[in-house]
Amino acid sequence: MFVLPPPPRYPITQTTASPSGQTNGQTVLEMSNVLTHPSGPEFQLSVGEGTYILQDNLHLATPPPHPQDAPTVNPNPLATAPIPPKAGIKLTICITSPRKSSLQLYRVNTSTSTGSNLGTYSIKESENESRSSNETNNNGAMTQLPSSNASGRTPVFGEDNILLTPVAGKEGVKRKKPKTNLVKSNSQFISRVIPHDSLNKRLQEHNPEGMFVFANIDRAYQWLDLSSPTPARAQPLMKILFAKAHMLCHDINSLTKGPNHIDVIMGASTGDIVWFEAYSQKYVRVNKNNIISTSAVSQIRWLPGSENLFLAAHMDGSLIVYDKERDDAAFIPESNGAPTLSQNPFDPDLKPLHINKSVNSKNQKANPVASWKISNHRITDFGFSPDSRHLAVVSEDGSLRIINYLKEQLTDLYPSYYGAFNCVCWSPNGKYILTGGQDDLVSIWSLAERRIVARCPGHHSWVTAVAFDPRRCDNRNYRFGSVGEDRRLLLWDFNVGMLRRPKAASIRNRASISSNIPVGRNRTESQATNRFRSNSSLDDDGVDANEFVEHEVESRTVTAELPPVMSKAIDEHPLSWVGFEEECIITACVEGHVRVWKRPQDCLSP
Amino acid sequence: MSSFFNRMRSGAGTSSPSAGSSPAKKDPNALQITPLEKYLLDLPLGPSRDNGSDKFWGLENFGNTCYCNSILQCLYYSVPFREQVINYPKRSPLESVTTTSTGQARIDPDAVILPPNHPSLTPTKLMKQQPVQNSARNPGGPPPTPKPEDKEHPDFKKRVAQARGPTLSMGNDNAAAYGMPESLFTSLKDIFEALLAHKSNVGVVSPTKFLEVLRRENEMFRSAMHQDAHEFLNLLLNEVVANVEVHSKRLEEEKGTNGHAEKTGFEKALASAMTKTTSSTTGWVHELFEGTLTSETKCLTCENVSQRDEAFLDLSVDLDEHSSVTACLRKFSAEEMLCERNKFHCDRCGGLQEAEKRMKIKRLPRILALHLKRFKYTEDLQRLQKLFHRVVYPYHLRLFNTTDDAEDPDRLYELYAVVVHIGGGPYHGHYISIVKTEERGWLLFDDEMVEPVDKSYVQNFFGDRPGLACAYVLFYQETTLEAVKREQDAESLAAAAKAVVEIPKEPVGLGLKTNGFMNGIQHVKSAVTPTSDEDTNGYASLDKAVTEPPQPIKLSTSPSEVTALPQVPSRTPNEDIKSKKERLKEEKERKAVAKITGRQEEKAERERLKSLEVKRKEGMKKADADTKAAIQASKASKAEEDQRVAAESGNKDGVSTPVPIPTGGLSRFKSSSKSFRKSKLFGGSRESSKDEPFAEENGAEATTPTDKSRNRFSSLRKKTSNMML
Repeated sequence: MFVLPPPPRYPITQTTASPSGQTNGQTVLEMSNVLTHPSGPEFQLSVGEGTYILQDNLHLATPPPHPQDAPTVNPNPLATAPIPPKAGIKLTICITSPRKSSLQLYRVNTSTSTGSNLGTYSIKESENESRSSNETNNNGAMTQLPSSNASGRTPVFGEDNILLTPVAGKEGVKRKKPKTNLVKSNSQFISRVIPHDSLNKRLQEHNPEGMFVFANIDRAYQWLDLSSPTPARAQPLMKILFAKAHMLCHDINSLTKGPNHIDVIMGASTGDIVWFEAYSQKYVRVNKNNIISTSAVSQIRWLPGSENLFLAAHMDGSLIVYDKERDDAAFIPESNGAPTLSQNPFDPDLKPLHINKSVNSKNQKANPVASWKISNHRITDFGFSPDSRHLAVVSEDGSLRIINYLKEQLTDLYPSYYGAFNCVCWSPNGKYILTGGQDDLVSIWSLAERRIVARCPGHHSWVTAVAFDPRRCDNRNYRFGSVGEDRRLLLWDFNVGMLRRPKAASIRNRASISSNIPVGRNRTESQATNRFRSNSSLDDDGVDANEFVEHEVESRTVTAELPPVMSKAIDEHPLSWVGFEEECIITACVEGHVRVWKRPQDCLSP
Repeated sequence: MSSFFNRMRSGAGTSSPSAGSSPAKKDPNALQITPLEKYLLDLPLGPSRDNGSDKFWGLENFGNTCYCNSILQCLYYSVPFREQVINYPKRSPLESVTTTSTGQARIDPDAVILPPNHPSLTPTKLMKQQPVQNSARNPGGPPPTPKPEDKEHPDFKKRVAQARGPTLSMGNDNAAAYGMPESLFTSLKDIFEALLAHKSNVGVVSPTKFLEVLRRENEMFRSAMHQDAHEFLNLLLNEVVANVEVHSKRLEEEKGTNGHAEKTGFEKALASAMTKTTSSTTGWVHELFEGTLTSETKCLTCENVSQRDEAFLDLSVDLDEHSSVTACLRKFSAEEMLCERNKFHCDRCGGLQEAEKRMKIKRLPRILALHLKRFKYTEDLQRLQKLFHRVVYPYHLRLFNTTDDAEDPDRLYELYAVVVHIGGGPYHGHYISIVKTEERGWLLFDDEMVEPVDKSYVQNFFGDRPGLACAYVLFYQETTLEAVKREQDAESLAAAAKAVVEIPKEPVGLGLKTNGFMNGIQHVKSAVTPTSDEDTNGYASLDKAVTEPPQPIKLSTSPSEVTALPQVPSRTPNEDIKSKKERLKEEKERKAVAKITGRQEEKAERERLKSLEVKRKEGMKKADADTKAAIQASKASKAEEDQRVAAESGNKDGVSTPVPIPTGGLSRFKSSSKSFRKSKLFGGSRESSKDEPFAEENGAEATTPTDKSRNRFSSLRKKTSNMML
């Protein structure tokens, strides 16, 4: 048996740490972020519309291990001790200016959108409407199904349960802030908070159209301002160091964000959830002491159109809706609103979506608001459709699930070609879903046609993140990007008409072995390409669209393939995140490199 | 052994008040229990399987023979391979009746030579007396005061495994009984059959004969040096093919001569039966591991495309930094230019020409052995170097690099075994294997040691983690999406059952009697112990209750659960008695284990309680600033209590599903073995690595065994020369 000692994981910071840093338990000096601007052909991306140039290469410092949580590097490579879940850097981008954010969504659908489906403003208005109507009509609301509302406005999850209506008066301009002050807190959960020396000055100088970026790296969480002038840009407005927890995912509430308020929600490797308001630097812990779920949070997002509710995907395969305002209580699975006596293990044959607590439950005194179990396999990612009706969930068992979350119904289950799915996202108009997985493929799925549209080979390893470029999408042409463990960024142009299936469509039915041949949700959809999948189309389909269909794997020989328009290794480390902003593409790798690629000049629109 | 006492002492030291409530009787020997045994006790295997799938034995290392051990374990758990090795040569019904007795005698106990530290006993006796023996053998044990972390050291675990035994020394050979000359195949078959016949589920095999034959016949494995596991796999598969073919050919000839000779009708029938079965089974190695590669070569001068098929037993793929197995396979089939020194001899143009070549898979193997070429020759250093590229491998795989006319191009494969190389270079290091067993999920095989591991553990060897451990050979076997789904469902159920157990995590003062987890263990135990003597099923449920402590549900449902298990009727009374004795003995061990685990649980609980208390105190201190938090905490604990109460009332109702043992793998192969294709009996089934000189492919595909063996050896030699160049 020959075993060499492992190489050190972190750059040796211990030697540089001064003994003076040993006050109140903090032994190691924090390293600071480094901003560089490398140039040259290897830092350029050439695509049809022009050349993207690397503008900023920001290396986020990996924090040293917590002093009380010394790195237990086991020299035995065969150690069977479980390794805590980790995630690469994920970014949450926040532009506080409301005009900008709505523009970002509207531009996509200029020709067809009614605007009511996507705009955050309209959501807010309609929400107010519904709240008032609920208050006047106490009785019927409970039994009604959420999406049975009149078309023309976006339904909000849980709005028909009067118990979930926020207390009147809390809404409006004055946002509710969390209770505990982050800086003054002496919680064991938070190890250290490092605000920038001139935080207030920087906040005052912040351009409301500039980008705030929230990033997780190891046990640190950083709030950055990418619109700051250069020397300060690298340094976070605030850095939070947690003791044990590693934040794996986070999201900001686009409904409540504003010039003085950003609601951030984060999910941790320990299962903890933190609601953090950036400006007031206050926070509240949800699922404290794992009272509701012991499992790590792999993805977390605010529910569209909701000020208080957010959805967390736990690694035990459960999706749980929490309310940031509610206290936690030990959770007992219930059925039909009443606590069940049985500790039902998940039975895959029983129901495709196991509702442990319905949103319509009458017991809404405490969190969770709703709890669903989709499997016992780790959920890797999920995303809400732009029309706020569907939820796409991908998991480690290699399945993509489409859930009508308003009705709490699972409608479709698609298998990967092989291996786990890692990521999922929706097209800006909600028609298509992208997934990336361990089959090295990006797959395009059609919501309306209920089938796979194309497989996109081109990555040399697992795909870790996918995203559409809303500024280069219209209702026929789509631009999206993907990043993977192969350190590559790939850009793809996808046009519905241009896609060719390798052989006649008739073979497709033969190729899928099951008798469950996927039925189109809306057969006219393919012709009426500019129509939205929205309220009306769902009503047209009626019950049929909500029937659960488990789809088969389509053979490679009959599924269309799409080649990338650009493929380039852009980092030295596996990539973990990609996003498209108005003026740039942003990528992030697992070791902390955030790269901003400036869009080509003079050709912002396709 | 002192270390065990040490462990026990430390355990007793920290567990204070409730330790008194645990039964006073202590069985120190049971402390020796390995994680594997604990795991097996957790979920009893039920009736023994007759196909060897319930045997989890380590293999003794005779100095750098880990390359052999890791590969043998992978092959043993290649279900169709094991079945074929055991079933070949096939016998007619009559003969098989006689061989059961002779076969038993052949292997068990006569052929079992126990090492000097073990008394030579019949299995039953051995099982009964072994603990005593072990405890008496203290002087030979590990150093008196080992550090606590030593227990996690593989060497320690191996010593424990070795000490626990039983040890099966495979020094004899039974080739004659198979009607075959002594060969690698017969000694491999000896090992497999001995494991099958042995009563114990766990133990250590000493494959002395196997190594002896290997070293006698193969010069390169003769030294005690570190060897390449992949080369060994290739050699072994080729040897098995050759041995089986030689044997079947001889049978064929015998039949030819016997057919004309004077025979009774019965003997004739027997002979024909034999040849019939053998002829249909000789190609089984081919059918399992062999696929066909088509190399398409396009001469750039005359545009002529020539195709050549060649068989492969495994695929050797080049690695790129930060790539996946899928990408490596794609690269394997990528177009390649044949130019300069590597020109192609075009039959049409009649000369060496530049050409384009690509290799695609025409016939997909049932078992896909993927060799990741981690050892690469570097010009600068003039030697092989190990590549620590991060290469990710998924649990499932389909092949993209198939020809257009390939049958079933979307065939789904599942990963079932990984050979891992640990070390900095190709000339030294260690091999282990991680194998998915039909009965017990993923197990880690490290020479003598066998340990259960989590499924996620399998993906720890991409090559980027500290510790220099990288996956080296990956074994994928064909499967179907349905089978995968079934398995996932079973996993879900198992996980759910586990989750149910784990839900009431926080210790809260409970008024409930039976289900308080702090004292529940002893309670359950004492409740069951008296009955277990008469009721053989009782202890099975006890195990479950004890090793997965917070699961009183299991107890209530266990009788039905036990009866629901498939029963094996074919048990002689004698065996029953034996097994009863065994059971009694095992039960004793289990009780002791229960005690320990129980104590550990209590300890953990107490610690958790303590830390909670500390936290609460802190909360109180903080109360000046933050009284609300404290209130919340108490609220939370109240809520926990509520949950617990509710949970337990749920538990009392006993709604739980017994966890089915996933047998997907086995049944899958059984059913699919019907669709065995006829083997084409390829000639030199060589390892087809892409960097072979192209001219080599012109080697004639001979059908006679002698030619074959020559081909094989030449290909092997070539490979080594490739490596050593």
